[in-house]
Order: sequence, then structure tokens, then C-alpha cells
Amino acid sequence: MSTEPSTLDPQAVNDRASRVVTDNVFETLLVRDANAAITPHLATGYERVDDTTWTFDLRAGVTFSDGTPFDAEAAAASINRIVDPDYTTQRTSYTEGIEAASVVDADTISISTDGPDPVLPAQLTSIPMVPLAASSPDFGQALVVGTGPYVVSAWNRGRSIQLARNDAYWGPAPELAGFEVRVVPDSQTALSALQTGEVDLVFDLLPEQAALAPKVSIVEAADFSYIAFNTYAPELADPRVRVAMNLAVDKETLAETVYDGHAVPNAAQHLTPQMLGYNPAVQAFPYDPDRARTLLAEAGFANGFDIELHVPIGRYSKGEETADYVAGQLQAVGIRATVVKHDWNEYRDLGRVKGTEPDAFDLKYGWNSNEWFDAGRIASHITCGGSSSKICDPVVDEAVDEASQTFDEAARVAAYQRMWAELHANPYSIYLLQQQYIYGTSARLDWQPRPDDTFFVATMSLGATA
Amino acid sequence: MSTAAPPAAAPAATPASRRRSLAGTLARRLRDTVVVLFLVLVVIFVIGHVVGDPVRSFASPDATDEQLAQLRSAMGLDRPFHEQFLGFLGDVARLDMGMSLWQQRPAMDAVTEVLANTVVLAVAGLIAAALFGVVGGVLAGSRPGTWVDRVVSTLSVISTSVANFWVGLLLIVVFAVYLRLVPTSGWYTWSSLLLPAVTLGFAHGGRICQVVRAVVLAEMTKPYVLAATSRGLPWRRLVANHALRNSGTTVVTTVGWEFARMFGGSIFPIEVVFAWPGLGPLMTTAAGRHDFPIVAAAVLVTGVLVIVVNAVVDLVGHLMDRRLGTGTAAEVPR
Repeated sequence: MSTEPSTLDPQAVNDRASRVVTDNVFETLLVRDANAAITPHLATGYERVDDTTWTFDLRAGVTFSDGTPFDAEAAAASINRIVDPDYTTQRTSYTEGIEAASVVDADTISISTDGPDPVLPAQLTSIPMVPLAASSPDFGQALVVGTGPYVVSAWNRGRSIQLARNDAYWGPAPELAGFEVRVVPDSQTALSALQTGEVDLVFDLLPEQAALAPKVSIVEAADFSYIAFNTYAPELADPRVRVAMNLAVDKETLAETVYDGHAVPNAAQHLTPQMLGYNPAVQAFPYDPDRARTLLAEAGFANGFDIELHVPIGRYSKGEETADYVAGQLQAVGIRATVVKHDWNEYRDLGRVKGTEPDAFDLKYGWNSNEWFDAGRIASHITCGGSSSKICDPVVDEAVDEASQTFDEAARVAAYQRMWAELHANPYSIYLLQQQYIYGTSARLDWQPRPDDTFFVATMSLGATA
Repeated sequence: MSTAAPPAAAPAATPASRRRSLAGTLARRLRDTVVVLFLVLVVIFVIGHVVGDPVRSFASPDATDEQLAQLRSAMGLDRPFHEQFLGFLGDVARLDMGMSLWQQRPAMDAVTEVLANTVVLAVAGLIAAALFGVVGGVLAGSRPGTWVDRVVSTLSVISTSVANFWVGLLLIVVFAVYLRLVPTSGWYTWSSLLLPAVTLGFAHGGRICQVVRAVVLAEMTKPYVLAATSRGLPWRRLVANHALRNSGTTVVTTVGWEFARMFGGSIFPIEVVFAWPGLGPLMTTAAGRHDFPIVAAAVLVTGVLVIVVNAVVDLVGHLMDRRLGTGTAAEVPR
């Protein structure tokens, strides 16, 4: 890990450094299996009672590692804790639409939503269950108690977090008796530690480091890189300009050079073919700078224009390099793009500025992570009122509305397919790549990483050193 | 951080201004310490309260202007500047630098917890630097123009010119990855200390080496050396008992100066490269997370360390140099 978690309260944070610990200490009502299908976990089954009410049957006989029972009271309290507007959490996108949970009987809870919420099961794969003791201010620091297969045995600040097998675990005992998460700030040092066998797994190898690791595990991530437009900016208002900018970027070469082949162009939608709402008729924009110039001329920008492209420093693998690359390609068709780099906080604040305000960004590089595997994940970026949205297109709004108001899967798929077709004609972003996660592992570690970026150590084993 | 020049070479001719008593030196040191410490505090306060906005960094991003104003008055930030500064001085006196937003505990706790790790590495690095500097400097200075001199001088130039963290990465690749002699990083066994200490020692030994070489060279060309040699004094004893002893003050001052410079900044990137659990990784992470209380506490603590080290070096130098008096003012003619 390159940085130390701020807290091990799983409901508060969602960064990788904490999840590598909390994913193994805490559990959720539902999980995705290896094929990304949603399956029961701490819940044994669930049922939708009406449009806004669901009930969940809880697994019997589960206890937290401090001995307190995991029952309806704890489960309902967990959900009410994370949806409380006064509770600060990085996981707000998983709680949108959930109103409250209540106890039905000892093994059943009911969850109410403020409208039809077809993605509730997906949301519940990201809401960890915590004990009633989580109301203590020590929770996540000195007090880390979950139902999962591992317990935190030591937290040596600045060095490492040690975890040991939870002998009272309700499920099958994991193969590894324990593991240690070490803090190594420098990625080159982390690679060295992997090469010497001091560590067995390193997250986020750079593409050029992949060849130096004893073994790499690569997973096609549910992360899609893009450059968002502010469609309210005068230069970008005309869809022809935005289509031209999509045509101006050679995504194949970007994937081959900057990412060393560890990424592929996405099909102009932030989904893979397996995800709900994928439109097979929509294809990636080809690389066609001549057509881009023609479109720009038609839109009245034969001489191009000046524009800024904003990118955060050190947040996304090769993000700054990608921004430089795209700026160069835009310059080749006459758009004089300059790259502006920000630290993460500044960049995040920039994303919240409404598109119509004077200090809004024009172009912004980012990754859209779709761990719901559902087109609905993107809504806040593309609807007229969306919190991060810089576009307002009635066709898109209507499709999103329709998809979010129905539980009929075929109707949702059809609506989202209409949405992507419209977002192709009227692009909200330059569609770039589907990213890969590159994990460096020791030769002895046997582990299949997952596209939803969870780290279940219980699924790992150590073979003989090859 | 500190970019001042290294101290002057041998006190060949003692300036009149330095002819002071030990008590005078102490008093002057104490005064300087207070002044420097005050300036450090002013800088921390100004950066935290004037350049940055503590309310904005403390409040949730979607807080309304009204909530911000409420918080501002609750935190006392609407009071006049001098009142706020006095309040800040009071907090510092109680070693209260505020709560860390990242670690959700007092920032000073986070800093003091890892401080000892940084000091351990610094001391080990100092020993390595002194070994490299003094041994190399004496060898080169007493044999000017030989291949030993050329090798040592080349090494010292490399030491002062290349980036420390790069040397660290190189040492990791050679000694940990290829030769498998020591661990790459972290602090899980005592052998983990070797590589970062050598890196730090190499980075700081170069300048010590250059100063020692110059001083020894200057001593060795003095007439008394010629006289002693002609009387048959063995060369080894000449170097050890006369040349080195006479340049002792300079050596101690230079070594001490390099020690202070480590806390002035050079040790922190080395800690980051070696995943050493010290102030370096703590400060860089805190800065990345906009956790100003930890950064401020760390800057204050390192500032105090630099001041203390400088004061101790000055005192030791004073005690060692007999021309500066051995204890009482009466002995020293004014």
C-alpha cells in the first residue's frame, strides 16, 4: 500500500488503502461472486415487497468478533448509520435513494427507499455491516470489529496493519492464517520488495513495471477514462465540435504507448458488453483527424480555439501523461489545448462547479468507475440536474428517468441503450479507455483479482515457489 | 529547507567577536533560539491562518456560507489577528497543535509517535557520514594528489551533487534485489537500518569529507609539520595527534551542521524511499491529505530539532577550542 488508511471504519472511507483491510474484516448483506452476479452473503435472501420496500432475511448464528450477535438490530443500525445525513462518508453514492432500515423480527429487516430503486441490491454489496458498538468514537481506530474472516491483530502506525484469521468465522475458514498490509510510499521500492519476496502482492503497478514483477495479475477494471466537456462553454456547445474532438484522439495508440498495452479503447460508453445497459450498436469513435477538422470548420472553428484541460496529479495511473497526449492530438486538429494540473482536493472542488458558472472547467480528465456494473452509475454525470453534470439533454434525461423508475430489466436495458446512442451523437466526454488494474504478485501467490476492486484475502492461497 | 553556506573552515585566527566566555555563549545561544523559534511559529501561524483557511479545510465541502460563518466564530477565527496569535502561542505551549483530520487524534501524538524513528535513522546516518567524511577526508588530505585522494574527492563530489533518493533506489536495487543482503524497505529488522543510513551518510559525508580534506591539507603544509617530520615523528602519529587534533573543532562543527541539515529536510525523501516509518512519510501523506495540523506539528518539531542541534554543536565547539576559553570568563583576555 502506498499510503496508510485514515480509519478502518468501513462505512466512512472507500479508498483502496482501507478497503484492503476492511474488505476482509467486514461483510455486506450481498456480494458479487467471481462472475459478478449478486449473491446472498450475510443476508440469505431478499424480496421486494412493493416499489419502495424490500425485506432481507439475515443469516442466523453470525457473531461479530467481539461476541455480539449479528442480528436484525445490528443490520438495521448499520444501514441507518451510513444513510444518516450527519454521518460523513465517502460512500454516499451507494446510499442514494435509501431512506431507512427497520427491524421486522430477529432475523429480518426491511429497507425503504424514496422511490423505485432498481440498483438497491448492487448498492448493498458496498454497505458494510458494523456492530452496535460502531457508535463509539473509537470505532475504526482502536476498535475494529466485524463479522469477516479476519480480525485486525495489530496496527503499527506508519508501518503496517496485521490481520489474523477469525476463528469464530461463520463461513469456511480461509486458507491463509493471517496477512500483513505494509505501507510503502514509493512505487519503485514496492516493486523491489516484491522482487525480493518480502511482500507477495503490490497494488497499482505502473504499466512499465509490469514486466519486472515475478508475476502479474491483470484484471479488466470497471474503470473508464474520459475527458468531460463543459457543454455550456461557448466553444463546446455545438455537438459537432465534441464529436470532432472524439475523432481527433487516437485511442489505440494511447493504449499501446502510454499504457504499454494495459488498457483498451472503450466503446464510447462506460460499460463492458456484460454490464447492464450496454449498447452493441454504439462503437468507439475512429481516429479520423481529417473529418475532425472538417467538422470543426462546419461548426465555425476553422481556426480552432484555445482551451484548458484539467487533470489531477498522482491520482490516476498515467493520468497526467494521458492529458498531455490528448492535448497534443487536439493541437494537431487546431484546438490549442493546454494542460492544467491540480492536486486532488482542488480538482475535486473544480468538478463541483456548475457548468454555467464562470470558473467552471472546459475539459476535465477522470475515470468513471462502474462497480455497480449498471449504466445507472453514470446518471449524476449526464442528467440536467446531476451533481457532476455539465450537460443537459432532454433525450438523456428522459431515458435515465425511465430506467430508474422501473424494475423491468428489459425496459431498463432499452432505455439505457437509447441514452448511449444519444450520448454518441451529443457526447458528454471524449471517450478514452477501459483501464486495467495491474497487480504484481510473488510467484507463490495464487489469486484472481476482481473487476469490482474488492480484495478478499480468503480467496488467496500460497503455492510452492515456482 | 536551509540553504545557508557551511561554516567557515578552521578557526585559524580566532575573531575577536568569538572570544567570549561559556556563560556568554550560552546566553547568546538562548537568545538566538528564542528568536528563531518565534520566527518558526510566526511562519506556521501565518501559513495556517492567513494563507490557508482552516474553516474551509475543516468544514464539509457542501457547507453553506452561514454554516461557515458559524464555524468561524465557534473556532474563534473572527477575533483580531493578535488575539488569535496569542491563542495559538498558548496552544503551542501546551503542545496542542490541533486535531489531525486524517488520523482523528491530536496531531502532536502522530508526530511524537514517529519522531524517535527519524532520530534513530538520523543518528545512524550521522555515524555513517562522519565515518565517510573523516576517514575519507584524512586519507585524501594527508596524501594529496595520489589515487586515494582522487577516488575520495570524486566520491565526495558525487555525494554533494546527485539526488539522495536516487542513490537510495540504486542501493536498494543492488544490495537488496540483486545481492539479497538486506531488506529493501520498512523497519522490521535492525538490518533494515543499513541501507537508509548508508544513503543518508553518503549524502552528508561528501561535504564533511571536503572540509576535513581541506583542513588536514592546510595543517600538513604548515612549518611545524616539516619540523616534526625532520625530527623523525612517524607520519601516522603526526596526522593523528597533530593535524587531526588541530582541525577537531572544524570537523565537529561541520558534522554537527550536517546533522542539523538532515532535519532541515534531506532525511525525509530518504525515509519515503525506504518506507522508513518516520516523519517523512507522515508529513508527505499529511500534506497530500491537506492535514495541516500534522504538517504544522512536524515543522515545529523539526524546527526545534535544528535549533537544539545547532546550539549543542556551538557549545561543543566552544568547549573544544581552547582559544575560546575553558570555562570562566576571567581566563579569557578581552
